[in-house]
Amino acid sequence: MAIVVSTLNNPWFVFLAEKAQAKAKELGYESKVFDSQNNTSLETDHFENAMASGYDAILFNPTDADGSIVNVKNATAAGVPVFCMDREVNSSTAATSQILSDSYSGCVAIAKYFVETLNKKGKYVEILGMVGDNNTWNRSKGFHSVVDYYPGLKMVAQQSADFDRNKAMEVLESILQAHPDIDAVFCGNDAMAMGAYQALVAAGKADKIKVFGFDGAEDVVKSIQDGKIMATGMQFPEVMAQTAATFADEYFKGKRDFPQRMPVAVELVKKDNIENYAAYGKKE
Amino acid sequence: MKEKIKYIALFLLVVVVAYNSVYFKKLDEVKAGNTSFNAAKYAKEFWAKKLTPALGKAIETGQLLSVLKTDKDKAFKDYSHALGIGNIKYFLVKGRGIVQSVDENQVVVNVESDFEKPEVFIATEYVFGNAVRDASGTIDINEFANSMDFNNVSAEINKVIREQVIPPFRSKVKKGDIVEFSGAVELNKEHLSVNAMEIVPVSLKIIDNTLITN
Repeated sequence: MAIVVSTLNNPWFVFLAEKAQAKAKELGYESKVFDSQNNTSLETDHFENAMASGYDAILFNPTDADGSIVNVKNATAAGVPVFCMDREVNSSTAATSQILSDSYSGCVAIAKYFVETLNKKGKYVEILGMVGDNNTWNRSKGFHSVVDYYPGLKMVAQQSADFDRNKAMEVLESILQAHPDIDAVFCGNDAMAMGAYQALVAAGKADKIKVFGFDGAEDVVKSIQDGKIMATGMQFPEVMAQTAATFADEYFKGKRDFPQRMPVAVELVKKDNIENYAAYGKKE
Repeated sequence: MKEKIKYIALFLLVVVVAYNSVYFKKLDEVKAGNTSFNAAKYAKEFWAKKLTPALGKAIETGQLLSVLKTDKDKAFKDYSHALGIGNIKYFLVKGRGIVQSVDENQVVVNVESDFEKPEVFIATEYVFGNAVRDASGTIDINEFANSMDFNNVSAEINKVIREQVIPPFRSKVKKGDIVEFSGAVELNKEHLSVNAMEIVPVSLKIIDNTLITN
């Protein structure tokens, strides 16, 4: 099995790739991880290499919901099944199956807590992920489907930081110059939440401005315990990786009727339920 | 002169081609979802053809609580729905009870039942999420081209609840009223908590307001 992942520059995706590889090994298959470095052209090269090298299935974490479709189509046309993990492609026919975090619902839950915590009023900043990724918009839409009902909550800035910690820090530092009086920051992933928190520490505002993330990454789980980050949406990358590898195994054994999309529930993690969770999923 | 006219014609041609070749749209409009899908229309049809008939199979709230206490696995297996993998499941419930208080974000009802008699919270403020869309188990995510369209259906269903179900109820309901309700409940199977069961309403009816205590 070829495991093609959007980036290995983020521990969350490293964990996803490792768990896919572990499940493939457990099922008796060889596997190799390919890092697309958030570059669709590189991803195309990986797909071509994987097919030329004789891999029988691709467990895939796309770089772009639209830009990655052609890679998926080429593989499936060549008889190589593709199982998307966490991120989707905008097609109901290209992939064999897509196992996806229910980002929208997770962010609805975060947003309800956001509104309650801010008591329905205040100024906030939204830091988006990669604009070509559906998860970015599913998270943003889920969040706004709640927050936009409250006129007392005003978004003073919305910028992308590409799911990157350092970029998020720079983005928020810049925003704080123009809007020093914000009350909260909502980030499309935990890496950016940590970057935003760093910017707030540097500005001496970490105890006044509330930060919300999404992912369930290790440092954010600890930061929620420590009261530094307010909440995150816990995703279950291990469940997604294992399901993708299991689907591939079932495909090799003859199964063909896979659900086109398989959502995986996201759970709200905050200080009063943090004892139930560890990084990237539940406590054992 | 001819040369000049030729250049002007060529320039106009380039302008026309360029004007018709390039479109500017806001990024969030482009990414907001498939514009050919009408989520409001879909939600209206879903409500009439799938959700309303499914209410006949909703479990009585006190009975659900009783089954959850005695056999959690059976309760989730027999009465919950979810579209994917995970701990979050949705139940379609119904019930009748006496209003204990009308709060800023909810109406608190003491359920009358032959089984358990829980205190439930009917959401009147925070009507968000997929509970109502998913609780009936009659919707298939694979009908949709992408998850944004699917999520927009939830937003439209919740809009119907917020605009049509809650206002006529909220404007009249008082402490002591007897009310009938149906709606959806979200529960986490792994970390189950039924102490503050929140119901996102699908139908609300004041049966009797002669028991006003204040």
